[in-house]
Amino acid sequence: MTFNELSWEALAFGAFTILTLGGALGVVFNRNLVRGAVWLVVSLFGVAGFFVLLSAPFLAAVQVLVYIGAIGILFTFAVMLTRSMTNLSERFNKQAWLSALAAVTLFLLILLAVIAPIFGEIAAPSSEVVATTEDLGVALVSGDKFVLPFEVASLLLTAAMIGAIVIAREED
Amino acid sequence: MIDVPSIADLNLTVTFPAVFLALFTMVVLIVDLFIPKDRKIRTAHLTLGGLVVAFVWNVLVFDSNQTALGGMYIADSFSGFINFIALTAAIITCFLSVDYLKRTGIEQGEFYSLLLFSTAGVMFMGAASDLIVVFIALEILSIPLYVMAAMRYRDAKSEESGLKYFILGAFASAFFLYGAALVYGATGTTSLPEIFASVEGIVATDSGARLYLVLGAALIFVGLGFKVAVVPFHMWTPDVYEGAPTPVTAFMSVAAKAGGFAALLRLMVIALPELTANIGDTIAIWQTTIAIVAAATMILGNFVAIVQTNVKRMLAYSSIAHAGYILMGVAAVGTIGVAEEATRAALIYMLAYTFTNLGAFAVVMALEKDDGSGTQIADFKGLSRSRPLLAVMMAFFMLSLTGVPTTAGFIGKFLLFGAALEAGLVLLTIIGVLTSVVSAYYYVRIIVNMYLEDGEGDPAEGATQYLNYATYAAFAGTLIIGLFPFLAVNLLDTMMIAGLF
Repeated sequence: MTFNELSWEALAFGAFTILTLGGALGVVFNRNLVRGAVWLVVSLFGVAGFFVLLSAPFLAAVQVLVYIGAIGILFTFAVMLTRSMTNLSERFNKQAWLSALAAVTLFLLILLAVIAPIFGEIAAPSSEVVATTEDLGVALVSGDKFVLPFEVASLLLTAAMIGAIVIAREED
Repeated sequence: MIDVPSIADLNLTVTFPAVFLALFTMVVLIVDLFIPKDRKIRTAHLTLGGLVVAFVWNVLVFDSNQTALGGMYIADSFSGFINFIALTAAIITCFLSVDYLKRTGIEQGEFYSLLLFSTAGVMFMGAASDLIVVFIALEILSIPLYVMAAMRYRDAKSEESGLKYFILGAFASAFFLYGAALVYGATGTTSLPEIFASVEGIVATDSGARLYLVLGAALIFVGLGFKVAVVPFHMWTPDVYEGAPTPVTAFMSVAAKAGGFAALLRLMVIALPELTANIGDTIAIWQTTIAIVAAATMILGNFVAIVQTNVKRMLAYSSIAHAGYILMGVAAVGTIGVAEEATRAALIYMLAYTFTNLGAFAVVMALEKDDGSGTQIADFKGLSRSRPLLAVMMAFFMLSLTGVPTTAGFIGKFLLFGAALEAGLVLLTIIGVLTSVVSAYYYVRIIVNMYLEDGEGDPAEGATQYLNYATYAAFAGTLIIGLFPFLAVNLLDTMMIAGLF
């Protein structure tokens, strides 16, 4: 790896870190829920960037599609539909200290798990098994792999969608 | 270059009952758009047609004993039998629904698509040989049921029923998924035969993997236990059964149970029978736990059913009790050498219960008024005078649920108790017999109400043409299994030896 490549990667890493952490801080410190939801999208976008840096383009794409596209929008809708909550400006979290403690504890635990080998040595990823998006796509539709779960899952989504419409539609 | 596998490799013919039904849901959904609102009965006819085609196809491929789609789908007689139960339940539910939906004002074409989705889910669950497929099938079985339970949206009870079922069902799915992940972590595979192959090594080495395997199996049991409503995961059952439209309750009580127990039996018989404390033991490590749960389920279900005044609630507790009896068969599977007999007993019990319980709900629906009232036990007073035939059939269903000889329920209990004794579960068998005696109290009370109590007798205006077809079919099924049990036993015998074991 030349110095140039390294520095570009480091730069990108820094940028994505700022996006991720900045977005997360935005979620925590913003009292307006809609803005909080937008900050969440920023943070999730940063995580998608990390996936690109880790050579996992498929996960990055899924991160954008599912987390930003679907879940971010879902949050926004949910906040906007519960209108009384939208313009909330006073602090309503009465257990901020407790949550902070929980968050810090979780962070330390994860840090410990990464640094100290309590769950066994972290093995280097074997270089032969590099699953590309193409491998994944083939596995999903080839008959001796995952075509059955894939197709049944699509049926499941259809059923869920029809169910949602049946419940939500107005009496006609 | 991508290899395109040939269609012949997939071995699709044997999967056709389930795959056809899955595709047919789309046909029903689309054709229903063009059927005018006042002729939704045609949607029901179309649905019935599809179910019958799947049924016939299932008979044709019944004991083919093949795997398909890369080993994820097993078409043996076990899955054939589960298909048989699921399709029978769906066909009878279709007949039950036609007039009921119309007269209670909740007729929607989508009801039938959702019914088919759920049926296909049961069928995929019976045939799944991979934890991923089991999980997705579990969801496809459950999600339409949540919606169908809430379909009587003008009634707050129905909405409560749907919401409660949804939230607890989602919890159950999460438990199942966590368990499946732990099993995957312990064995490195989601395929049930491969899990079976790795269990012995894990037990022998006594590694940490065994802990994860046991934990995973326990969490999967919790998840499926919610679905089949065993104590202590039964809390939702009475409220959901009472609030849901009655045909949905009827279907839920048999189909969701069949699916849940199919997955449980597959997992315990195929993947984990050798999960013993030590190599060479003949009793699986999970047997005691399941036996205790079964005992608690039978005791609580039967005793709480006594004090119910609403028939739907009573049948809900009765269904909890029956889940306990079937679970007794699952516990018996844990003794090596009895698995075959116990699986057969559990399957035949489920078939008997399917016919009997659908029949009982059919009679309840005959008495139910358009606004959902008329389901109290007191409403049965004097039914023998106003509707003698209906009263005879209801009495027969109640006797079958108790387990009186010449009924299907007796055959099921006889086989189950026999298997449990064979497995050395003597105490559990005694509890089973005693709780059956207790159950006679509340089942016979309905018969007493119909025959011995004074009263005008309900005109049973809900007993319309289609509902009567359903009642007769359920009655015939209960009677035939009761008088000629070898029909059902033979159906299974062809398979067990060749396929599952």
